[in-house]
Amino acid sequence: MSAAQHQALVLGSVSFVAFVFFLCFLIPSRRTKFSVFAACNLLFVALMFGAVALVDLSGGRAEIIVAVMTELPVVLIVAWVCLALAGGLPAQLGTLPAEPVARRPWLRAILGSAPLVLLLSVGLATAVGLAWPSPALRVYAPAPPQFFVLKALIMAPEGLYSGVAAVVFVVAGRTRGIKRRLYFKNLAFSVGMGCIALIAFESTLFAGLRVWLSGGDRRAILEVLNTVEACLAISCILAFTAGLSLRYTPAVATTLLHRLQIGWLSAQEQFESLEWQAVSSGAADRLTHASDAVVEACRIRGLSEPDTQKALATIRLVAVMRDPSGETQHITPDAARRLYELQQEILCDDVLASRISWAAGWRSRAHEPQTVKSAPLHDALKAALDLVDNDGESEGVRTPPHWYYIVAVGAADAKMIDPAHVSMQLRDGSEYRAAIEAYDAAKRALQMLDDRD
Amino acid sequence: MIDVDVPKRDLTGPFLSRLAGFWRPLRNLGATQSCVNETRSLLTAAEFQEELAILGLSGQRFEPEDYSDALGEYLGISIAVHVIPDSWYPELSRLLAISGRLGELRYSEQLNLAAIFVPGSLPPLVLTLTILHELGHLAAGDLLIEFDEQSAEDDKHAEETTFATIPLKKGKKLARGSPFADESLREREANLRASYALFAGCLGDDSPHAYDMYDVL
Repeated sequence: MSAAQHQALVLGSVSFVAFVFFLCFLIPSRRTKFSVFAACNLLFVALMFGAVALVDLSGGRAEIIVAVMTELPVVLIVAWVCLALAGGLPAQLGTLPAEPVARRPWLRAILGSAPLVLLLSVGLATAVGLAWPSPALRVYAPAPPQFFVLKALIMAPEGLYSGVAAVVFVVAGRTRGIKRRLYFKNLAFSVGMGCIALIAFESTLFAGLRVWLSGGDRRAILEVLNTVEACLAISCILAFTAGLSLRYTPAVATTLLHRLQIGWLSAQEQFESLEWQAVSSGAADRLTHASDAVVEACRIRGLSEPDTQKALATIRLVAVMRDPSGETQHITPDAARRLYELQQEILCDDVLASRISWAAGWRSRAHEPQTVKSAPLHDALKAALDLVDNDGESEGVRTPPHWYYIVAVGAADAKMIDPAHVSMQLRDGSEYRAAIEAYDAAKRALQMLDDRD
Repeated sequence: MIDVDVPKRDLTGPFLSRLAGFWRPLRNLGATQSCVNETRSLLTAAEFQEELAILGLSGQRFEPEDYSDALGEYLGISIAVHVIPDSWYPELSRLLAISGRLGELRYSEQLNLAAIFVPGSLPPLVLTLTILHELGHLAAGDLLIEFDEQSAEDDKHAEETTFATIPLKKGKKLARGSPFADESLREREANLRASYALFAGCLGDDSPHAYDMYDVL
């Protein structure tokens, strides 16, 4: 077996072992488009090196063709990685660029040009090799300068793009606040691409030494470089395997997020904005007096500000549901029930319930941000449905808070709901009587203010 | 200000046309490149994540104020948000409510200034989304459309997935695509930007779209 066949056997075996590992362990557990593509390339490389190891292909243009074919899978891997980093892959393979690339349009253009430049360089190198054949597969044989040109044409762009990709992976991994697993994943890919860049540099150096180095140490130096290349190839495969094995699943799935965007958020915004429009434009006229009295009654009963806001939100909801205008025709009990169920779905998810929040005011850090749970609308929806729903489907409020009694009294007084339904639901308890007294006192106080004006 | 005019076409001979054909896919990879005189679909969450990356907010939790500051810095304009208490201008809420609007955006190209006016009586979630909606118009470059460029057609696009856009002559925007010719589509896209921004700001690196930018393979 010649030195070239021995070298091919080593690299072919490494590639084949890596292919078997990908096929048996990696792809079944985490199948990405890239892992399948990499597995195909590994198989192709293993077959090519196997052919070189088994059959003596040295001599003439066939040697050039085989040499270029063994380089092609690595070139394709580099092109895929660069295009993936640039977000240039077709939509079904993934469209988002890496974060550091998205911020730098020039970097995106450089990485996006990789497939074109790399394939052009391979084509050019093939043309040079076919025009001036050289002993590309005979590892230690002296070579003409054309061989160096052939190698450099492939390796220079490959090394450049691999190096850039390695740096991008490092920058992506070092982003502030990134999850630990994603940090190691990007680091592993960075090592892998760094190894490819080093192999490209080493290969170019190797070709130069074959052309220009002579003397007794030549063979020894070339053997050392060959060993280095094999080690780098193994490191590269191990690094990519590690990177592809590291899995991280985001806390919120894309489909759930999409459902929340088109479901919960748009429904809650519609509810609150239509209600605001109805109140602000004066469309819900009879509401004004009732809501003022409810707020005043809450103050008389000494309720907290959040409870007062819940009472206000509830009386508004009851008003627009009972007296829908052109703007508020979409605020129906059914729509309210759907929105409440969506809110419950969010509250059942710990991550969503704790994360989804919005500021209580612009550039206002004084107030706690509102969440689905703390926003008045959530409790108001339940309370309003309990008050409006006369079909007997409502479970009723088992232990109603103080503000609920006041809203019930206010809504009954404003003829928004049936007073008999309220007294039956609340069963004339002491809280109910206290709410009636507070509400009556609030109405008298407001009346006195009106008279004074 | 960045000039977004396309290169002059009269210099492009047959050879240059072919060369331009090779160059176009690369050129389109530029983040702020306008897709002029084309049709496009509505903004996706992934595309919005790219915009956040350009602003340096991808994968981070942020408030609408942070988004506003970053957008203003990127566009090179000053963005002022005025939340007007009802006690100052009691008529503002009523007039906006009657007109069916929740806020108002004014932009002065000469002063490099954008001002957003929203009534203080809006519920907090609606206030946040309204401000983000108006910021979305700035990001999309909707205010850079000159009046005579606006399409007079009033087509309904219920079945379509891509829509006509308007090329911009000047001005800087964050979005890759040009603004839609149809005003209702511009409003829909501003709504989408607002909802994407709210969720992205809340979830930070737990957002699946942010995660995708750190796991490209």
